[in-house]
Amino acid sequence: MHVVADTFSPQLHLVTPLISGLADGAAYGLFGLGLVLLYKSNRIFNFAQGEFATVAAIVAFLFDRGVGWVPKVPYFIAITFGVLAAVLVAMATERLVIRPLFHRPRVVLVVATVGVALFLVGVEGLLPYPQTASLRTISDALGVRSYLTQVDGVVVLDQDVAKLIVLAVLAVLAFLFFRYTHTGTAILAVSQDATAARVVGISVERVSMATWAIAGFLGGVAGVLLAVPPSGSVTPGAFTGLTLVVAFSAAVLGGMTSLPGAFVGGILIGLINAFANADHSFVPGLNSLPTSQAEVAVALVLLLVLLVRPRGLLGREA
Amino acid sequence: MTAALLEVEDLRAGYGSVPVLQGVSFSVAEGETAVMFGLNGAGKSTTVNTIAGLLKTWGGQVRFDGSPLTGLSTTEIVKRGISLSPEGRRVFPQLSVRTNLELGSWTRRSVQKEQMAKVFSYFPRLEERVDQLAGTLSGGEQQMLAIGRALMSKPRLLLIDEASLGLSPKLTQTVFQVVDQINDDGTTVVIVEQNVGVLPYADQALVMQKGTITFDGRGSDLHETGDLRAAYLG
Ligand SMILES: Nc1ncnc2c1ncn2[C@@H]1O[C@H](COP(=O)(O)OP(=O)(O)OP(=O)(O)O)[C@@H](O)[C@H]1O
Ligand SMILES: [Mg+2]
Repeated sequence: MHVVADTFSPQLHLVTPLISGLADGAAYGLFGLGLVLLYKSNRIFNFAQGEFATVAAIVAFLFDRGVGWVPKVPYFIAITFGVLAAVLVAMATERLVIRPLFHRPRVVLVVATVGVALFLVGVEGLLPYPQTASLRTISDALGVRSYLTQVDGVVVLDQDVAKLIVLAVLAVLAFLFFRYTHTGTAILAVSQDATAARVVGISVERVSMATWAIAGFLGGVAGVLLAVPPSGSVTPGAFTGLTLVVAFSAAVLGGMTSLPGAFVGGILIGLINAFANADHSFVPGLNSLPTSQAEVAVALVLLLVLLVRPRGLLGREA
Repeated sequence: MTAALLEVEDLRAGYGSVPVLQGVSFSVAEGETAVMFGLNGAGKSTTVNTIAGLLKTWGGQVRFDGSPLTGLSTTEIVKRGISLSPEGRRVFPQLSVRTNLELGSWTRRSVQKEQMAKVFSYFPRLEERVDQLAGTLSGGEQQMLAIGRALMSKPRLLLIDEASLGLSPKLTQTVFQVVDQINDDGTTVVIVEQNVGVLPYADQALVMQKGTITFDGRGSDLHETGDLRAAYLG
């Protein structure tokens, strides 16, 4: 969104970017949770996280529409199938790619996840379905208006509210999971010392599988929430190209190892992006930049935060 | 002599294609403490790690309480009653002392409370620092935690790899005394050591050289015959 105004307008310069920033931020945060989870446990940047989301969106779309031989099922069942598909793909990634490479340097694993992402984009591209379409929104599926409320004349989309709520709920659940469950503690233990974890009898293989399944779940939820109009689609590679890189910045900003940090970082980056794009003639210097100023602003903030706090806003380890 | 709890028979193991253990045989009687000496690189850690299931057995076998452990996962081996305090301590640095200990009873949560109390009675220092992150403990405290964590599964056989490394002479004695007490309370102990100060606490002594056992006898014999000197001077 790129709006220009000569004088300060609360609607253009405040409400609109605030709302769209929160909505985009929720998306980055959702991706960020999955990225942080895998970084925390395996010390890798998972470049396939975007495609876990795409897989979920495509599968949900196929079942929602009933494309080809795929039976048409009710919307909420379709998106459940979508999320399940992402979980399965993530588990297959763990078993077939990550586990055989587990004792290799981390960089090998990171490159392997890039390979998984490219592979998935390729496979998705071969599927016969309308690739530029998008998944229905929740309000569409429920047959209600796409927005329940407006602020100062600016529409607040239900789907955006849903993204924020789901993000907040998942962030809290993930936090509680690591703090209070045996499996959560085991994931932390494996991430800190895999040999010690084996010594106490934890099955490192099972923990790794569980971790990837959860990452697939988080990616899948992000996919079915985000591949909707006006800007989302079920296009192969869409999330990898547009969302993932920003989500990495969000996760790094929040402190790669902190789940609440992924939430905070995501929202912050969404807001910075939106406000920078709103073209404030009253922020000296910024409006003289070309349209990519939003990315510049994001990079600038990221750089500043990392200079002052190398471990990110909420990260605890360097 | 009571029946052997641990029987190691012609054990072979290594890394990649490089063999380290060239047929290791010894047995440890239930209720005793065995100490294993040997030069750096002799294969002591490889031996205890193979017994604990961290390394694959290439040949020979390990029997525990009469049944072979070959092919069992570490999880299964801990469940059967063997617990390892590994070389280099290896505590979970970003988790609290309490969580570290709780993870020690991962395979046997029913004994957690009982064992936690026991560990605190052996190492009161750990109880004082129960909410501290393990990575911020001193080296000696981390060693106590590693041994404590190994006790949390209520093992019948406790393997300790290098208890005294980096500890002051005083703390080393304390740790040896606690190990002696653990043994008195009924746990069979195999301890890998470089410090001969452990000998008074040992029933059995083993010397390992280049992947085989070159001395196996009573602890007191090793002291008298000077075999230990021979082992260390090659
Ligand atoms: N992970 C590994 N990969 C390859 N070789 C190894 C590995 N660990 C140990 N070795 C080799 O195996 C041999 C035996 O090592 P081991 O750790 O069992 O010795 P050790 O008797 O415990 O020595 P120390 O007293 O120094 O602890 C050494 O030659 C060592 O280099
Ligand atoms: Mg060793």
